[in-house]
This record gives sequence, structure tokens and C-alpha cells, in this order.
Amino acid sequence: MARAALAQDGGGVQPHLSFAHLVRRFPDGVRALDDVSFTVPKGQFCVVLGRSGSGKTTLLRSVNGLTELDGGTIRMGDMDMSDATLRAIRRKVAMVHQSFNLVERASVAANVLSGAVAEAPSWRVHLGWYPARLRARACAVLHRVGLDEIHLPRRAAALSGGQQQRVGIARALLLDPEVILADEPVASLDPAISREILALLRDVARERGATVLCSLHQTDLAREFGDRIVGMRQGRVVFDGPPARFDAAAEAALYGAAEMPMRPAPHLIEEPVYA
Amino acid sequence: MPDPRANDAPALAPRPPGDWHLPAPYDWRAALAVLLIGLALIWSAQRVEVDRMLRLTGEAALAQVGLQEESQVGRGLGRMFGALFPFVIEDRQEVARLPNLDRDALPRFTRIETIETTRYVMNSETLQAEPVVESKEYLVHPFGYLLKVADKMVETFEIAVWATIIAVLLSIPLAILGARNYTPHPVLYTMSRSLVSFLRSMPELIIAMFLVLGYGFGSIAGYLALGLHGAGFLGKFYAEDIEAADRKPQEALTALGAGKLRVLRAAVLPQVAPAYVAYTLYILDRNVRMAAVIGLVGAGGIGQELKGRYDLFEYGHVGTILLAIFLTVFALDQVSARLRARLIG
Repeated sequence: MARAALAQDGGGVQPHLSFAHLVRRFPDGVRALDDVSFTVPKGQFCVVLGRSGSGKTTLLRSVNGLTELDGGTIRMGDMDMSDATLRAIRRKVAMVHQSFNLVERASVAANVLSGAVAEAPSWRVHLGWYPARLRARACAVLHRVGLDEIHLPRRAAALSGGQQQRVGIARALLLDPEVILADEPVASLDPAISREILALLRDVARERGATVLCSLHQTDLAREFGDRIVGMRQGRVVFDGPPARFDAAAEAALYGAAEMPMRPAPHLIEEPVYA
Repeated sequence: MPDPRANDAPALAPRPPGDWHLPAPYDWRAALAVLLIGLALIWSAQRVEVDRMLRLTGEAALAQVGLQEESQVGRGLGRMFGALFPFVIEDRQEVARLPNLDRDALPRFTRIETIETTRYVMNSETLQAEPVVESKEYLVHPFGYLLKVADKMVETFEIAVWATIIAVLLSIPLAILGARNYTPHPVLYTMSRSLVSFLRSMPELIIAMFLVLGYGFGSIAGYLALGLHGAGFLGKFYAEDIEAADRKPQEALTALGAGKLRVLRAAVLPQVAPAYVAYTLYILDRNVRMAAVIGLVGAGGIGQELKGRYDLFEYGHVGTILLAIFLTVFALDQVSARLRARLIG
């Protein structure tokens, strides 16, 4: 099975993503990422597992520059991440979001096509008139994620949560990304739908040979879908290995006692509400 | 002074729910503010003679139901309203002043009316006042004035439409520069916001007065004045909606490598479009009403006609104009309500 070959860290395969000594500090000194280093080979479905506040979202967001790092380097293929390469990296990296991040009032078609918003000619973006090639691709990816022609004109808000995440995946797939970052893609879905969505994500990534970095907090889903599990706790990697090695001891190390004060990640802190 | 609880919260031992501090819905500062505002209003009420207003209104109401002889307000308004009726819809011109009139081929719908007036003239021989009958001929168009008012109303509407177009075109760039999260530079942000506030604070009547000096009497001053003032509103509302739009889809498109303008178009515009339509329709509605007013300073439209008739004490004509304005605003309200429902729903 492909999984076995890809399961080992690196395993002789060319690393696609490499993280070296990543550090990210919150203003209050807490480290969201504390010297995180590992590499992900091409085509691997790598699950980043941990509880809320363990730093997995920060890790994913640093890959496409939504969160800035205080130290360390990220390498994708033969590109070092920097301000100069950020645009180029973003165009090869797609993201699937926890709360789907669709434009709720726009149609499903417009949402999927917005996946090409950085690529299509400017006048076409502003007129909302995407080239025929992209429109054909949008239909193809929507079909692939299990939606139908009747969904095209519907508003994203009118779909169920599972369908919205399918649209989110279709948007991510539109430009054939090399890397898919899935940030808790099923956190707001029920267990049965969660399995369908993760299976879809794994299958479409495999078909395209895309590397997936998927953060999850459910151990059962991580075991079922991951080629590899990277366990994070308080900003550090505390487990790295194939799901078969993720045993009760590893789980205890990841989730066990030692209560840590819960802190929302800085990008989640809303403006204060004054009563 | 930093609130000590904010920083030390995680370190504190959990307290029993009986000791929890539940924030009050409002505090003493809010109560004090309400009290101060109340006092200020009482102070202001006697400056603007609220008591006299209430007394006069009360008298007018009593006079209406016959409990009081008569009232000052009732007399004044009654005379005015009496003069507005009947509305004048015909157009009448003295034939003597129409040298080119061909009596055998009168314009359509018109007729010639002869009105005889009796004057008393002193006969110098008998030294007695004798009646002299004079007859004057008028060319009467039975609904000529109505057509003229309709024409002026269309002109007013055109002024309002062009004013709205100018307001929208000006406020889109102003809104992008004036949205905190999309402005290219804080200096541009401040400049845009200041300009928008300035435009909003200038009354359109005053802008129109100045523009009339530059562009002369007519529509140009009208739609420029309304357009500039409207940009002061739309620039503010558009910008605030951009700032308040849901950040998540914007972040999703930023993550794909899209620049600011593209994110605005693909992630912000669909969210703000319904509100923009509502604001723009409101400005159009307002422009129609204000276009009727700024005509008073000569900036074209029905207001100019209104001012002329009012100054000539032709209140019957004024009544027709007021009715036309009301009907237009009412019709526009119906149309825009329907349009809004369709676009927002």
C-alpha cells in the first residue's frame, strides 16, 4: 500500500515541506510554536494532532504566511519561504478552513471560481467573468467533490455544513495545488460527515499527488486517515510516526494531565465586547 | 490603569459561582450620561420655546374641535392651505401677447376664452363713474400647467439620477482609501475620511449656491451639489461596510495569493452589495427630495419653478407643484422598496 511506503518520516522520498526550528511567540511570551522541526514527503497525508492551543493551527498558517514566524525556516520544494516567495508559494498552496470561509452570499459557482482569483486576468476577476477553461474546471472539481449542477447557482449559505466544506475543497482544488493545508476541516461537522469529508480530502489529494497537512483534534480520525501523525503539545512536537505506533501511551502523552491555561490563538481574539 | 484580573485570570484559583462577578448591563457612567443629557435637554427646551410650541399647538387643536374661538396657528396655516386649493392645472396666456397665433389652427387641446371685466371709468363730461366692459382673450390649455410641472419633475428626477451617479463614482475610491483594512497608506486613510466628512458637513443648499455662481442657473449646479454631498454619505457608509465585512472569506482568498483589489471584488463586494444597494437607493430618494429644494437657489428642476410661483403669490400653482413632488417621492419609494426586496432577499 502507498501508505506504508509514505509512512516513514522522509523515508528516502524527496521532502516536499520542511520545517526547521520554527518559533512563534505570542505577545505575552507563550510559545505557540517552540522549535518545531520535521519534513513532509511529497504526497503524504500528514495529520497534525493536538488539543486546542497546541500550536497546530499556527503551524499550518505559517506555511502560507497567514501567521508570521519569529524564527526558523520553512522550505517548500526548492523554495525558501520569504516575503519575496510568499506570493508564489501561496499560489501552489491551497487551504481548507475550519469554518469553510466561503462568501456566504455568493453562489457555489462563484465561490469555487474564486479559487482562481489570484490567477485569472484582473479584468475578468472584476467583471466576475472567468475564462471558459476555468469554468469547465470548476464544474469538474465540483462534480469530483460530490456536488451537482443544481448546486451551482445556490448561495453557499443555503448548503449544509458538509456541502459547504465540499465547496471549500473544490475551491482549494481548482488550481491543482501542490500542498493542501486543512485546518481542522471537520471540526464543525458531525462524525459521519467528518469521515466522508476526510475520505474525500484524502482521495482527491492522492489522485493529484498533493501533499496534505491536516490538523485534527480527534485521535480516531487521525488514526483512520493519516499516513503519519505528528502530535503537538504546547507548541512542541511530542509524537511523530505512523498511526500504527500511535498507541495509548502516545495518546496519554499528547492529551494527558498537566492542565495548561487555555489561551485563544491571537488571530482568534475578537475585539472586546463592551456591555 | 490595567485591569489586574485580565492578566492574572489563569493564575487565580477558581472561585465558587456565588462569588463570580457578573458584569452589569450598564454602570453608573451610563446613568450619569443619561442624567446629563436630560438636564441639557431641559435647558435647551426653554431656549427653543418648546413650551410655547406646545401651547400654540394645543390652542389650534382646541379651536379645531370648537372649544376655543380661534388660534394664531390655525389662522396662519388655514389661510395658506386655503390659498393652495384649487390646484392650478391649466395654462392660460393672453392672446394679445401671442402675435403669431393662428386662430384657425389652434394648438391641440387649446381653446380661446374671452373674459369680460367691468371697470368703472369717470366720464369727464357727466362727472359720473360709468361702467366700461373690457374683454380680454386668453389661449387656454386645459392641463398645460400640469404638463409643465411634469416636465420640470422629470428634469428634477434627472438631476437626482446624475447626482447619485456622481456620488457613487466619487465614493467608491474614497471608500477603498477610507477603509482601515484596505487603505494603501494611513495618510490616504485620514485624507479620505476627512474629505468625506467635509463633503457631508456642507449643506447641499450652500454648495448649490456657490456652484450657481460658477456654472450659472440650471441643472449643472444642482447635480454637482447633490452629488458632492451624497459622496459624503456614501463614502462613509461604503467604507464602514468594507471594514465590517466577514474576514474569513477575505483571509481564504488572501491565502490563495490574491491582492487587495481582487479580495475586495471577490470576497467583500458580494457581502456588502445588498447594503450598498440600500444606501444608494436611499441617496437617490433623498436626491429627488433635495433636488426640489435646491431649485430654490436657482439650481434647476422643480424648485426653481416653485420659488418663482411662490414669489408671485400664485399659491394654486404651488399646490400643484407640492402634490407633484409628493407623488413622485411616493412612487419612487414604492419602486425602491420592491427593488431592494428583490436584490437583498
